[in-house]
Amino acid sequence: MRKRFFKKILVLGLCLSIGLVVGQRSPSLAAEKPIVIGGSLPLTGTFSATGKWVEKGYQYWADEVNAKGGILGRPVKLVIYDDKSDAKEAVSLAEKVITVDKVDLLLGGYPGTACTAVMPVVEKYKMVYVSMGGHMRSFSQGYTYSFGSPPLMGEWWYLGFFEWMKTVPVDKYPKKAAVFTMNNPIGMALMDSLYKGCKELGIEIVIDEKYNLPLTTADTMITKAKQMKADILFANGMFPDGVMTLRACKAFDYSPKAIVQGIGSVIPEWTKELGKDGDFVFSGTSWHYKLMYPGNDKIIKAAKDKFKEDEPPLYFGFGYAWMQTLQQGVGGAKSLDQTKIRDWLKTNEVKTIAGNFKFDEKGLPKPYVYLTQVIGGNVELIWPPDMRTHEPVYPKPAWK
Amino acid sequence: MQKIIKSIVPVSFIFLLAFLPILQPPAYFLSFIFKVFLYIILAESWNLIGGFTGYLSFGHVAFFGIGVYTSAMLFQHFGLSPFIGAIPSGLLSSAAAWIIGYPCLKLRGPYFAVVTLCFVFIIDLVVKNWTFLGGSEGIHLKLLPMDIQLSRSIFYETFLGLAVASVLVARWVQHTKFGLGLASIREDEEVAQTLCIHTADLKIKAFILSAFIPGVAGGIYAYYISYIHPDIVFDINISILIVLMALFGGGGSWAGPLVGAVFLSIVNEFLSIFIRPEFARIIYGAMFIAVIIFMPDGIVTFFKKWMGIRKIQHSYTSPVDKEK
Amino acid sequence: MQGRQLLVKIRPPLNMLNPIVILQSIVSGLLMGGIFALFGVGFSLTWGVMKVINIAHAAFGIMASYIAYWGLTLYGIDPVLSLCLSLPLLFVTGLLIHRFLIQPITRSRDVVVASMILTFGLAIVLENIMLFAWSPDERLITTAYSSQVIFIGDIIIKVSNLIGFILSLMGILAIYLFLYRTCTGKAVRATWQDPEGAALQGINLRRVSMITFGIAIASAGAGGVAMAYMYSFNPPVHNLWLIFLFLVVIVGGVGSVIGSAIAGLMIGLITGLSGAFFPMQWVNVLLFGLLMGILLIKPEGLFKK
Repeated sequence: MRKRFFKKILVLGLCLSIGLVVGQRSPSLAAEKPIVIGGSLPLTGTFSATGKWVEKGYQYWADEVNAKGGILGRPVKLVIYDDKSDAKEAVSLAEKVITVDKVDLLLGGYPGTACTAVMPVVEKYKMVYVSMGGHMRSFSQGYTYSFGSPPLMGEWWYLGFFEWMKTVPVDKYPKKAAVFTMNNPIGMALMDSLYKGCKELGIEIVIDEKYNLPLTTADTMITKAKQMKADILFANGMFPDGVMTLRACKAFDYSPKAIVQGIGSVIPEWTKELGKDGDFVFSGTSWHYKLMYPGNDKIIKAAKDKFKEDEPPLYFGFGYAWMQTLQQGVGGAKSLDQTKIRDWLKTNEVKTIAGNFKFDEKGLPKPYVYLTQVIGGNVELIWPPDMRTHEPVYPKPAWK
Repeated sequence: MQKIIKSIVPVSFIFLLAFLPILQPPAYFLSFIFKVFLYIILAESWNLIGGFTGYLSFGHVAFFGIGVYTSAMLFQHFGLSPFIGAIPSGLLSSAAAWIIGYPCLKLRGPYFAVVTLCFVFIIDLVVKNWTFLGGSEGIHLKLLPMDIQLSRSIFYETFLGLAVASVLVARWVQHTKFGLGLASIREDEEVAQTLCIHTADLKIKAFILSAFIPGVAGGIYAYYISYIHPDIVFDINISILIVLMALFGGGGSWAGPLVGAVFLSIVNEFLSIFIRPEFARIIYGAMFIAVIIFMPDGIVTFFKKWMGIRKIQHSYTSPVDKEK
Repeated sequence: MQGRQLLVKIRPPLNMLNPIVILQSIVSGLLMGGIFALFGVGFSLTWGVMKVINIAHAAFGIMASYIAYWGLTLYGIDPVLSLCLSLPLLFVTGLLIHRFLIQPITRSRDVVVASMILTFGLAIVLENIMLFAWSPDERLITTAYSSQVIFIGDIIIKVSNLIGFILSLMGILAIYLFLYRTCTGKAVRATWQDPEGAALQGINLRRVSMITFGIAIASAGAGGVAMAYMYSFNPPVHNLWLIFLFLVVIVGGVGSVIGSAIAGLMIGLITGLSGAFFPMQWVNVLLFGLLMGILLIKPEGLFKK
């Protein structure tokens, strides 16, 4: 009886696998064959909040391009799968879009771990992969088809802050720093620029601690920082722990000269949910909607009209900028040949809403970062000076 | 003779699978079936301790992860090929299982489940905090220096072999005295003890065996995924998934995890490809609810009962037919 | 990378011996732990009474958090008041779920396993319904008093955490009184100790476990609101909150209300205090290590007779 049962399973399995093969074979033979661009994003699960915004950015770009007549005279079509916030799924779905859907171009993924895992695979398939990448280490592996345009580079994150700090009179420098960092690739990547910057300015790091996510309480950290009289706080965290740290600062009436936040304050919830408490926090960014690069006005309008967001979220702009890069690569190479696109991108300048980039052999632009500060519920640009939208508030006023 | 005929179908099916890479299908199919194999391996080996013995281990991803890290470290520091490094990976996983299993297997039921869960968390955190193992930045390995289709085929074949081996091991265990001993532990450990069955001994043996196979699989998987990060390889969701796969199929037999792993992987892939994200997940979740309500002891048990009933009916009607 | 960070960093002793840091850690930890206790007590109850490990427990908590959030942002209703709506709602939901989902699986060979698979599916369904309805954006409950504090000497108590803590005390007390002072509650305890004996005494097992389940889900709601005072949340976060539930139940002992209360406080205390003495990155290792130790030495929980 068991054998019969096994046979049944086999038949079932065969049917399913045949179904799988047949179901997949659906190349569209439309009159005007669209350029298919595919990839996976975390649309459900832990990273879905960000994944959804990247998807919206891609979609907005596709709508815009199609309204203008497409790329190379062909419309574009997006194929986006849900990798359920799992890097393993992201790899297998990247293979799916490349070998089964036979997409013409690839979409970048999110978060860093997924991008890092996908990058060696796309290198093997010789497909151009424009994404935020997984910080410097992922770009230093010798991949030639991966581009960060703009990248999310922890290693550069605080460069802007320290450069700006040098313009502050020396007697107003903070003396002691408390550093709390989340223990993940982003957090670790932040440390380089932080250590270097503190050393240059003669800021003594009195507390340097890492914590694992999820953070259960920030009270102890802030009490320690207060006891050590640290007058600058680096809270290198994401949104949930960033919020806890900030709330603890307010509760304990700990008011250092500056609070520098990792990447928690780059999502719109920071100003929306925290309100006034989120003010005066410094952070970095690779893109900001107030940058004077053409295209940002459209982004602001689109975010307001389509999604009712007063400030376009960072990842909405990221998604759009990555696609701009890809578009220019295809336009410049005048073909969909991946190697030609790569070579064009490596030798020419790309104009995106985040800036004009020339890529080095790693696929990265020159180190750059913008310093931002949350002022009056808006994220304002502070540095570089020619991009400044608001005078910085320093030292930070006491809590109300 | 009958035995040989009956075994023709599975054997020829395995041969078909083995020849699949020669047809040069899109690499995604190889990768997808590779993933199914991985889950078959993990679920079958989990079943040795979870299904046969009744000790729900949520820590199996830890053994898998230990395997991944061992072979990655061996490759980084000694240049040992992962296909060789997989053996020490398996041995180290077994050693970890021996150390952990010795005190933990004294616990029963949900307590054992939670203690193994804690074990995963601890291992995950220790690896994240330990710079020598790449810490929270992970380890970058190079992919096999060859054509991707070929390398995917190699991984596919290796895992096909491992999957067949793990199914055979499970099947062998089920039909030996060892397996009977494990079953007696599952049914009633006290009674088994009074019958002079060395339950502690059997349990630790099953646990070590069930940790060895994931360790080997992990050792090879390290080279497949090439970017090794605790969030990827100590993912608690893998642990939960393999438990669900085994129980979904039916934990008591070797066929259960096989059915569960194949079924759930295919359903999951179909849903995430053809249906919009949230709905796909809702259907996925609802499927668990539906299956467990209608087949509370797993698919295999359900069908066995169903076929068993049919058989009884058949034997009941046949004498009547004879009289006619 | 190598050598950038030592395995364990040795810190200046000044920090370790600072009494304010230690006291503050104790107080903050206890407040936090109280909230874990309320969140975990229902989980413990269903596990103990009907052998149902409810993986969806935290998802129900998140649901109540969302009700509180929308009540606050749309109508300005205080989160505590929103419980008047969410508690009955969740109680009824609990009854329905028990009637239509849990009861059919009680005939299975292993209820623990079956219930885990079932509620795992339920958690996925709930998570994604919430994801679809309310988007994955992070939410935060910000009330007028969320940044107010009370001073006791140099020690600071956050008002929002205090409210969560008081809520927990009340919730746990209510459940305790229900179990030990009412007829139904006594029936629940009897069922838990000896289901067959209880049935022989004329206790309607089905009704008793239905009510227990309803109460457990409702307590998850109260716990969810208390958690939302401390943490930001979005639908997928229930997976993280689930870990706290397991911690509370194991330390406190399955099914024990008082045990859960003390366990919650202990966990809070350990996390708070170890943060003062150890590098933060080893706090969770320590917590899970201690938990493993407790399990191995005293698997029935520290506070169960």
